[in-house]
Amino acid sequence: MRILVVDDDALAAEMTAAVLEDGGCEAVIVESGDQAMETLATDRDFDAVVSDMNMPGMSGLELFRRLRDGKSGLPFILLSGDDPEQLRGQEPGLAACVAKDAELEETLMTAIAEVRLPAAG
Amino acid sequence: MALDLKKFTARFIDEARDHLGKLEEGLAAFHSGVADPETINTIFRSAHTIKGSARMLKLAAINETAHHLEDVLGAMRSGGLTYTAELGRLLERAVDAIAGLVEQVAEGTIPDAADPLLCDELGRAAAAAAGEAVSAPATATPVPTPQAEAESLPPPTPTPSATASAKLKSPDTVRVSMNKLDELIKLMGEVVSSHAMLRQRVADLRAIERTRALAPGGSPTVLKDFARDLKDDVAAQELLMEELHRKALVMRMLPLGMVFESAPRMVRELARSIGKNVECVVTGTEIELDRQTIDRLGDPILHLLRNAVDHGVEEAEARRRAGKPEAGRIRLSARQDAAGVVVEVSDDGGGIALEAVRDKAVRKKLMTAEQAAALSEAEVVDLIFRPGFSTNAIVTDVSGRGVGMDVVKRCIVDDLQGGIEVDTRPAAGTTFLLRLPLSLAVMRVLLVEAGGQTFAFTAQQVAQLLRVPVEKLLMVAGRPAVVVQNEFLPVASLASLLSLPPRPEQPGDELLLVVVQVRNEKLAFQVDTLVDERDMVIKPLPPHLAHLAMVTGMVVTGRNSLVAVLHAAVLVEMARKARAESQRDKAGEQRRTRVLVVDDSLNTREIEKDLLEAHGYQVTLAEDGRDGLHKAIGAEFDAVLTDVEMPNLDGFALTQALRADERYRDIPIIIITSRQKEEDKRRGIEVGADAYIVKGDFEQSSLIETLKGLLG
Repeated sequence: MRILVVDDDALAAEMTAAVLEDGGCEAVIVESGDQAMETLATDRDFDAVVSDMNMPGMSGLELFRRLRDGKSGLPFILLSGDDPEQLRGQEPGLAACVAKDAELEETLMTAIAEVRLPAAG
Repeated sequence: MALDLKKFTARFIDEARDHLGKLEEGLAAFHSGVADPETINTIFRSAHTIKGSARMLKLAAINETAHHLEDVLGAMRSGGLTYTAELGRLLERAVDAIAGLVEQVAEGTIPDAADPLLCDELGRAAAAAAGEAVSAPATATPVPTPQAEAESLPPPTPTPSATASAKLKSPDTVRVSMNKLDELIKLMGEVVSSHAMLRQRVADLRAIERTRALAPGGSPTVLKDFARDLKDDVAAQELLMEELHRKALVMRMLPLGMVFESAPRMVRELARSIGKNVECVVTGTEIELDRQTIDRLGDPILHLLRNAVDHGVEEAEARRRAGKPEAGRIRLSARQDAAGVVVEVSDDGGGIALEAVRDKAVRKKLMTAEQAAALSEAEVVDLIFRPGFSTNAIVTDVSGRGVGMDVVKRCIVDDLQGGIEVDTRPAAGTTFLLRLPLSLAVMRVLLVEAGGQTFAFTAQQVAQLLRVPVEKLLMVAGRPAVVVQNEFLPVASLASLLSLPPRPEQPGDELLLVVVQVRNEKLAFQVDTLVDERDMVIKPLPPHLAHLAMVTGMVVTGRNSLVAVLHAAVLVEMARKARAESQRDKAGEQRRTRVLVVDDSLNTREIEKDLLEAHGYQVTLAEDGRDGLHKAIGAEFDAVLTDVEMPNLDGFALTQALRADERYRDIPIIIITSRQKEEDKRRGIEVGADAYIVKGDFEQSSLIETLKGLLG
C-alpha cells in the first residue's frame, strides 16, 4: 500500500511514516493540506491518506471534507494529538480516527488493515 | 515490529528545545507587552507539538505537563483567559519544568512523573477559563470541533505566510551548554581583574603627574617604566578580549547535522515519488556553523537536493545505458577550510545539459541564438541562476514550489555572505559547492587603498594577494594580465573600475594585486596599498543605500571612519562588461578562421579566446586533452592551440593523436606552456607541433604573428 502522510510536524510525520513502513506500507510525506491536495491532483497512485488533525492553514478535517467533496474516494485516516473520540462518527465517510500516542503503532496499523480489507474482499 | 524510538528521541530533544525557545520568547513578549496576535498561535502550536511528540514517544511526564500548558494557552488563544503577570509566572514555571524534563531525557533518564502541584495549578487556570465560557450563552456546540474553535479565534486563522514569518523570527534564542557558559564567566572574571590593573595604572599616572608638578623635569625613567607597564597591560587585555570574543562566537555555533539529518529520507522519498531510485550519503554533520547561518541554510540545501534528484540523476534506463548502477547517488558533505565551511551537494548524474540550457535561454528570450552560442561553459551554467530559469518542464512538480535556483543563489551570496560554485561534467554529474563564512557577525576583512580611498574585501572572496613587478604585466587582447602558476590572470585597476583617479605609475614599482575568485573565474584587482587584515563586524547598508550592488556592507575602522565592503562578484561582472565593450569595437573583418584552444585553466582559455577573437578568429574551447581530441574529431579546425600539462591527456599526447588523424596532419598546432625546458621543446617538435610558445614571454603579437605565419 502506498500512503500519503500529511503532518506539519516533521518529527510526527516521520514517526507515522516509520510505523507505516514497519507495517509494510510505503509512505510519502507532505507537510500541509495544500500540499496534499497538490500531490493527490498529480499522483493518483495512493491507496490511503493519513493526516494530522491540527495543522496551520487547512486542518486535517478540512482536507478530508475537500477530498470527500471532490469524490476522491480515498480512505482517509485522521490522526489527532487530542482525544480522537470526539471526532469519531461525526463525519460520514471518515475511515478512522486514531490518537497520536504510544499505541499509534497498533491503532494505526489496525485502521490500515480495516481499510485494506474491503478492497481485498 | 517495535519501532526504534531511540532514533526519534534525539530528534525530539532537539525540536523540543527549539519549541521551548519559542515558548520562552513568546512569554517574554507577553511579559513586556509586545505580543501580537500571532504570538499566542505560535506558542500554542509549540506546546501542542511537544505534547503530541512526547505522547508518541511514551514520555508521559512531558506529555502531561505540555498538555496542561496547552490547555491554558488554548484558553488564552480563544479569549477565555487574559494574560496577567501571575499567569505569566505560572506559564514560565511550566515551560521551565518541561525544559528540565527534556534535559533529563537528553541525559538518558526517563522522567517518571510530572510535577503534580504544577499540573494542578495549570488545570485550575484552564478550568477557570472554561467556567467563564460555560457561563456565556450556549451558542457554542457542546463538543467544539476544531473548525468552530478556529472560528472563535480573535484573529483570523493563521495563513501559511503568517506562520512562515513566525518561523523566520524564531531563532532569536539559542541553547548553550553550561560548560561553555562557565568558561565564558571564568574569562569574564579575568577581564575584570585585568581591568583592575588598568585602574592601578591610572593611579600610577596621577602619582607621576604629582611628582612632576613638585619637581618639574624629574627622572624620565619613571615615565618610561609607566609606558612599558601600560603596554604590557594592554597586550594582556587584548589577549583576553580575543579569547572572550572567540568563546562568545562559539556559543552561537551549531552542528550542520541539524540541517543534514533529514536529507537521506527526503531524497529517498522524493526520488520514489518521481519513479527514481536515489540514495543520499551525508558526511560532515559534526561541522559547526553560526546559528544564523544554520537556520537559513535549510531551504537552499533542500532545493539543491530536490534539484539533484529531479534534474541531476538520470532515469533508470539512461543510467543503465551509461553503464552506471541503477540507483543514483547524491552526496551531501561539509568540510572546514581556512575561510569557513564548504558544503557540497553532488550527484552522479548526467551533468548539466549545456545545449539544453542554451536553447532554453533563447526560447525564454533571455538572449539571441548568437549570444547564447558565444557563451563560455561557465556562463551557460550561470544561466540556471537567472530568475525564472529552469531546465525541465517537470520542475514545478518537484523542485519548483515557488523557489528557483536564483533564490538559492541570493540566499547563499547575499544573505549568508557566501559563494556558490558549480562543477558539471557530462556523464559524471554535477557538484554545487557552497562556501560559507563561519559566522555572519564577525568576518575576516582585508582593507586596501585604491584611488586615495580605503575599501574592504571579505576574506572569503580573496583567493590570493600578489606582488608582481610592473614589467611582468602583459597586454593580451588589449587587456592587462599576468601569468601566475601556469595560468593567465586578467588584471583590472580597482580605482579605474570605480571611476577614481588612479595613482600615477612609477617605474620599477611593484603591482599589488588582490586576486578574487568568483566561481571558476579569477580576476586580479590592482590596488595601491594593503592597509590591514583583521576580524571586523560588518554592518548592513541603511535601506536608502541598499540598492548599491557594488557594496555589501560597511565596517568601522579604528579611527571611526566608515569603509565600504566591496562585492567581488559584482566587480568581476563590471570588469567583464568593460572588457566586452572595448572588444566589440575591435572585431575585425578577417575570414573567420576556426581555432581550437585546449587548456585546463579556465582563465587561460578565456584570455586566449579573447585575444583570438579580438583578431577575428572563431574560437572553440576544450578543458583538457581528451576533451580537445573529442572536439577536434567532431568538427574541423584550422589551427589548434594547446597547453602541455593537463589531466587525462597532455598536450604532447594530444598533438600526437591529432597528427595521426588525416584531417589534422597539416593543420598548425601550437603548444603554449609555462615549461621552458629545452627537452620539452624538443619533445614538442618530435610529436609534431609547429610552434612552442612559453607563457612567460607571451605577448599577443608573438602568438598572433606565429598563427598568421603558420596559416599563411
